[in-house]
Amino acid sequence: MIPDTQMLRKNVWSGLGVTLVTCWLLAWLIPRYGGSGMAFGMHPQRLATLGAWVMLLCAIALTLVSFIQLRKQRVTLFASPSLAVIWHQLWPFLYVLLFIVLAIYLPLTWLAPFIVGALVMLLGERRWYVVALAAAVPTAALYLLTVHLMRIGVV
Amino acid sequence: MLELSAITSAFGDALTLHSIGVIFGGVLLGYLVGVIPGLNRSVAIAIAIPLTFYMSAYAAIAFLIGLSKGTAAGSAVSAILLNTPGEPSSAATCLDGYPMAKNGQPRKALKVGLLASVIGDLLSTLLLIVVVIPFASIALKFGPYELAAILIFALVFIAGMAGGSFLKGMAAGGMGVILGTVGLDPETGAMRFTFGYAELMEGVPILPLVIGTLALSEMFVQLDEYRRSKDGSSIRLTNNPDDNLSYSEFKRTLPTIFKSTGIGAFVGALPGLGPSVGSFMAYGLAKRSAKDPDSFGKGNPNGIAAAEAADNAVIPASYIPLFGLGIPGSVSAALLVGAFMIHGIQVGPLMLRDHPQMLFTIFAGMIVASLIMLAIGWYGLRLFAKVTSVPQNIVIPVVIFLCLAGIQVQGYGTFGLLTVFGFAIFGYFLKKFDYSFVTFLVAFIVTPMLEMNLRQSVILSGGEISILLQRPIALFFVVATGLLVLHLLWSSYREYRNRRSLSSP
Amino acid sequence: MKKTLLSSAIITAALSVGITTAQADDFPTKPLTLVVGFGAGGSTDIQARVLANVLEEELGQPVNVVNQPGAGGGVALTRLASNRDEGYTFAFGTSMTITYGPLATETAYQLDDFRYVAGVTLGQSAMVTGEDRPFGNSWEELIEYARENPGTSYATQTALDRMIIEYIAQQEGLDLRIVPTAGGAGMAPLILSGDVDFAYSGGTHSGYAETGEMPVLLSLAEDRLVAFPDAPSMQEAGYDINPAEIRVVMVPKDTPDAHVERLAEALEAATQDERFIEITEERILMPVVYMSEDEVTQTLTEQTESYKALLEELGGVPGEGE
Repeated sequence: MIPDTQMLRKNVWSGLGVTLVTCWLLAWLIPRYGGSGMAFGMHPQRLATLGAWVMLLCAIALTLVSFIQLRKQRVTLFASPSLAVIWHQLWPFLYVLLFIVLAIYLPLTWLAPFIVGALVMLLGERRWYVVALAAAVPTAALYLLTVHLMRIGVV
Repeated sequence: MLELSAITSAFGDALTLHSIGVIFGGVLLGYLVGVIPGLNRSVAIAIAIPLTFYMSAYAAIAFLIGLSKGTAAGSAVSAILLNTPGEPSSAATCLDGYPMAKNGQPRKALKVGLLASVIGDLLSTLLLIVVVIPFASIALKFGPYELAAILIFALVFIAGMAGGSFLKGMAAGGMGVILGTVGLDPETGAMRFTFGYAELMEGVPILPLVIGTLALSEMFVQLDEYRRSKDGSSIRLTNNPDDNLSYSEFKRTLPTIFKSTGIGAFVGALPGLGPSVGSFMAYGLAKRSAKDPDSFGKGNPNGIAAAEAADNAVIPASYIPLFGLGIPGSVSAALLVGAFMIHGIQVGPLMLRDHPQMLFTIFAGMIVASLIMLAIGWYGLRLFAKVTSVPQNIVIPVVIFLCLAGIQVQGYGTFGLLTVFGFAIFGYFLKKFDYSFVTFLVAFIVTPMLEMNLRQSVILSGGEISILLQRPIALFFVVATGLLVLHLLWSSYREYRNRRSLSSP
Repeated sequence: MKKTLLSSAIITAALSVGITTAQADDFPTKPLTLVVGFGAGGSTDIQARVLANVLEEELGQPVNVVNQPGAGGGVALTRLASNRDEGYTFAFGTSMTITYGPLATETAYQLDDFRYVAGVTLGQSAMVTGEDRPFGNSWEELIEYARENPGTSYATQTALDRMIIEYIAQQEGLDLRIVPTAGGAGMAPLILSGDVDFAYSGGTHSGYAETGEMPVLLSLAEDRLVAFPDAPSMQEAGYDINPAEIRVVMVPKDTPDAHVERLAEALEAATQDERFIEITEERILMPVVYMSEDEVTQTLTEQTESYKALLEELGGVPGEGE
């Protein structure tokens, strides 16, 4: 199993990212929010700190090993993706986030047909009855479940 | 005491049309709940408990046991077809089930899952009947020291088998440990990483975490792939010639099923470990002992068989400490205690003395439930497999919706929705950068138990390591863990050397 | 963030009913929600479900049970405190969450954020042990044993019982090893196997009343326990604390008087209902009582004050050092 160039590049960057995040965890977050107190068994922060050190060591090792291999293969470290690719990967997250924000103000049952329907259309479905069916069935199921079976009202 | 006539009449009771109808209803309802991602066993039982107010004690219990068995088998369906585990413990089933379904063998995957479920469940039920009364007290030999040692062993074992880069796996595991410590410190009551949110006091809620990391993130990955190659459904239609389970293929999974049932039953009988530990350990063992470990995670039927057999074996086995000692070994067992209570039966060792007929009727009912599960699963499978013929551009939006709805239905509210979303992003990166999310999940699930048992051990022993000499079971697992670590280091070093000799000839 | 499943359910329910302002004397005009701060299947949950069935008949509207587990009942109360639907959502829980909870941890609610409609059950928590211990079943002998054997172990489940045992240890001059554990299901194996010498138990011991596998050493109720009349109460054992648990029904503090009164009436009737009495007294083994709003509020206020005083004496919440 020879890791390909792309994977090596991913390893270097993700390793670097994890190293940075872990440094932040160890230096700031864990000491500050990890909990404090006298304990006879284990200090509240003990396990979290241990986990963070494991992450740190692994991430550093990963970055170094992959970096050295990458240099041996003499390929560039940078391969920045185009903006189009980034947007392509980003919009589904924004789409879901939008509906989560809306769900703060409206019950999910009301939003359901739009969550499903709009995405079905965005994915290229043009037959109206397919869109309508895909939107209506889950909504009806959620309504039946919450209102009639669980009796917790419209969620 | 155990007269044959009592047992036959117990079976007689369990085989009346009425009882079978009730059990059938329970299993069917459980199966459906299991199939719907996001609805889980505790919710199903909570919904069903008021329904049982009007049933006889036996019917109520049989119904609830059928229900909890049904969820375990049903959750495999959504794990295989949608990569969305119905229960967190089916996460291990996704690993091979989903790739198999993607390769155009959804029916085969479902059948393997179903047969493994039923066999695991049935054998474990038989074990329960034979073992429950005489041997239940053995579970008490597994105190904090033993449980801590077993959990550490399980963690290292699963991390070692997860595959991919060992370093990346360990890093993901470290993250799981950190997240596992969120919430009230069990000893000092200190708040850890809660940032003032009461919702985090008992830890990051497991269901949003699992659904986010596994299911929702997978939908994002698929959206990405779908739009890149708009070639329609990635799960192909059912007319694949290789989509039927032949007898010889089934026979090849049998050893895995038996081994995994053993692991599941062992884990289930120890109070507090839970089905997730059982299914992941069984999966790990199946992978390690296989001749072709690389095919795991890419659609190996043995992977499904291992995860499902163990997952289902845990449930009946968790009733061993329940009926034997009165200690509920799992969430569903704890719920059953409540149901028994409502119907005026005190669960525990006194059941055999006070309600022997009841106990044996329940056992008989459990066996009937296993068989009904097989029937429902077998015929339902044709229906469920149809899901795969729905095109991808409809499945993705619906599953995204189901992920959100599942969280909302469980009462996690906006907080839960944001948690799911956050872990979907996290899971997306794990998948894109090929970090082992299995190790992450297992570390997260195991950490609270491990921490509690470690704490208890340290405090009870006063910090003296020599206590291990008095606890041979714990010592055994500590030594085994040490050997396992050495083995893992050695084999990954060897792999590294092999790779180097390959890459620079 | 504060927005919950419940309130959204109620808002839509309100919208669907129409904007007709309900007259106070019509209360309730739409389904009610009973919130349980613990998971399904626990003794609180079982009782709540029976209570909901009884209340449904008394109030003439469906009463739905919703579990909001977390933080020992704290999550449910945090959400209830910001709830504004005038008594249509009410919580059933144990008094510890509201009396000691805000003292032990930072909570988003305080004792006076709620009105306590009524108390309906008295808790039966206790200090328990296992069979065949060197100190038998007697509290006095246990204390003596613990004095002679430093490192006697105790399993704690809640912040409150931890404070009580620290107080007792201080009073008696004991050196205890205090082990954390989660719930009755975590405590029972430790006690039954003998790994731990004695423990706190919320109600698990009731299940072993007949076998005698889990004898009670000390009652943590106001009086002796119904099922274990031999164990002394805290006062009898010489400790000036009353940690008695009351299971109460509560609503947010701005709930209209008329609604609270209507709920209280229904609850009083429920405490005389056979089904509720049976599930509580014969299954969960806790006595049913009816305590009015004034009575409960006074008891809870006094308890909170006495815990505060105790904490001062101990020099802070146990375990939470500076």
